[in-house]
Amino acid sequence: MQIIETKNLTHIYNKGSVFEKIALDDINLSINAGEIVALIGHTGSGKSTLIQHFNGLLMPTLGDVFIAGDSTGDKTKLKSIRQKAGLVFQYPEHQLFEPTVYADVAFGPTKMGLGQDEIDTRTREALKLVGLTEDCFEKSPFELSGGQKRRAAIAGVLAMRPEVLILDEPAAGLDPRGKDEILSQIQKMHTELGITVILVSHSMDDAAKLAQRILVMERGRITIDGSPTEVFSQGEVLQAIGLDLPQISKLMNRLAQENPAIQKGVFSLDAAAAELLTLARKGAEK
Amino acid sequence: MFKSQNLSFEYAPHDSNPPPLTLKNINISIQTGEFVAILGHNGSGKSTLARHLNALLTPTEGTLWVNGLDTKDPASTWGIRQSTGMVFQNPDNQIVATIVEEDVAFGAENLGVPPEEIRRRVDDSLAKVGMLAYASHQPHQLSGGQKQRIAIAGVLAMRPSCIVFDEPTAMLDPSGRKEVLSAAANLNKEGITIILITHFMEEAAVANRVLVMEDGEIILDGTPREVFSQVDKMQALGLGVPQPTALAHKLRQAGFNISPTILTIDEFMQDETVKKILKGQANANN
Repeated sequence: MQIIETKNLTHIYNKGSVFEKIALDDINLSINAGEIVALIGHTGSGKSTLIQHFNGLLMPTLGDVFIAGDSTGDKTKLKSIRQKAGLVFQYPEHQLFEPTVYADVAFGPTKMGLGQDEIDTRTREALKLVGLTEDCFEKSPFELSGGQKRRAAIAGVLAMRPEVLILDEPAAGLDPRGKDEILSQIQKMHTELGITVILVSHSMDDAAKLAQRILVMERGRITIDGSPTEVFSQGEVLQAIGLDLPQISKLMNRLAQENPAIQKGVFSLDAAAAELLTLARKGAEK
Repeated sequence: MFKSQNLSFEYAPHDSNPPPLTLKNINISIQTGEFVAILGHNGSGKSTLARHLNALLTPTEGTLWVNGLDTKDPASTWGIRQSTGMVFQNPDNQIVATIVEEDVAFGAENLGVPPEEIRRRVDDSLAKVGMLAYASHQPHQLSGGQKQRIAIAGVLAMRPSCIVFDEPTAMLDPSGRKEVLSAAANLNKEGITIILITHFMEEAAVANRVLVMEDGEIILDGTPREVFSQVDKMQALGLGVPQPTALAHKLRQAGFNISPTILTIDEFMQDETVKKILKGQANANN
């Protein structure tokens, strides 16, 4: 089932002025429910503009966006669309504002007008999903570590039980441990809740770790759409548009130039080691 | 350039319940012209140490000398701040003026440098970071990497002998990261001491010395090769090693005699055992 669909989506900023800029150029995209998709591109390629269309924060200049079949242009559906597609902005911890972690996460469900019990259930459930334990609930968000703050912010969106979770640079600026924590939590949410996850990132390594499908954006268009291995085997194309490959893919693509038996685009350490060990074993059998 | 003796620091020394020491008994010496990367988790004390290097913080116990000046001596503070510049994580927090060249001139103006000299220094500093063409631009229209280079130029115009970079690339995209890192490396070639705090292992690999901090102490101190060849220890710390190093380590565990000191893709490609694997001539345990 398609959860997100865009038809000829074009977005032009400052249309008609001297600052006119085509941010999205005729995008036709469909994302199925339950997919985990990474959206990659350098600054200014249109990633953030695109995801803001997914919950109706921005409206198409031309074309349409459908969320679970409803057009974002339909004002009567907008509220339910925003509840279905939860958007976690970059550095979401800057948006924590309640005196306690619990109150911050409960804010969304409260505004949805749910009953007290339901608010409590959802708040606890969301905090548990992001791995924050009971002893954090009554703390001020400012007492948490960077990674914890960010998870609290994500819980605030999860508490609204979205069908699609859209995260803009969820791992940016965290230390390696915080980064691993957040990425594995996202993975876990995807598996446990079966929700669709869209991840915007500069980091190919993060995208490679999580996504089943990678969309590469360049100048407002989607230029590559494929599995991580398919995308990362196109090293030259990516580098030409200023994107970097995961270090391991770069290395494997170099090795593949020396020996074509090596698969290009491999991006995980284990897969790369397995590939080289297979090659060595074949050599030994000869 | 820097020398510390039993440097300890706590954030709230007069609190009845003081938090644990942020820096514990640090003895370190850094020579002029070194390129030192500091690795460690958030909360390990990296930034606290960095803020000691230009007397933004002073030791609770012990002493730190910058070019022979004691940072605790208020009479030395201005001299120390002129000799050690800082570049922080968020480019948007460091820009004070509305025109690039005015922003770059700000520090030097406050030092009372004569106008003609400021003009020369601003042009010279902008040229060094490759931003001369943007002298009359507005900073808010620049990319993150460009803004960071402006911040670096502002520090350079004060003619420092050392620049401390506190996670300068954490908020940048891959091309911005490259710009900032190559600016730092070029300045080091001109003899400026560089201290680079980072979470990216690949960035640390280009330094000529790596310090690893944990719980307020320096637990590893050596060349990148010495530090990153301790793969198990770095992974246990949750910091990791550059990916080519990690892959070499995996193959070594499988019995292949690959050098433990590989840091880069090029070094991996040039390893004799890797060449043999590629040709199908390698056996485990040789």
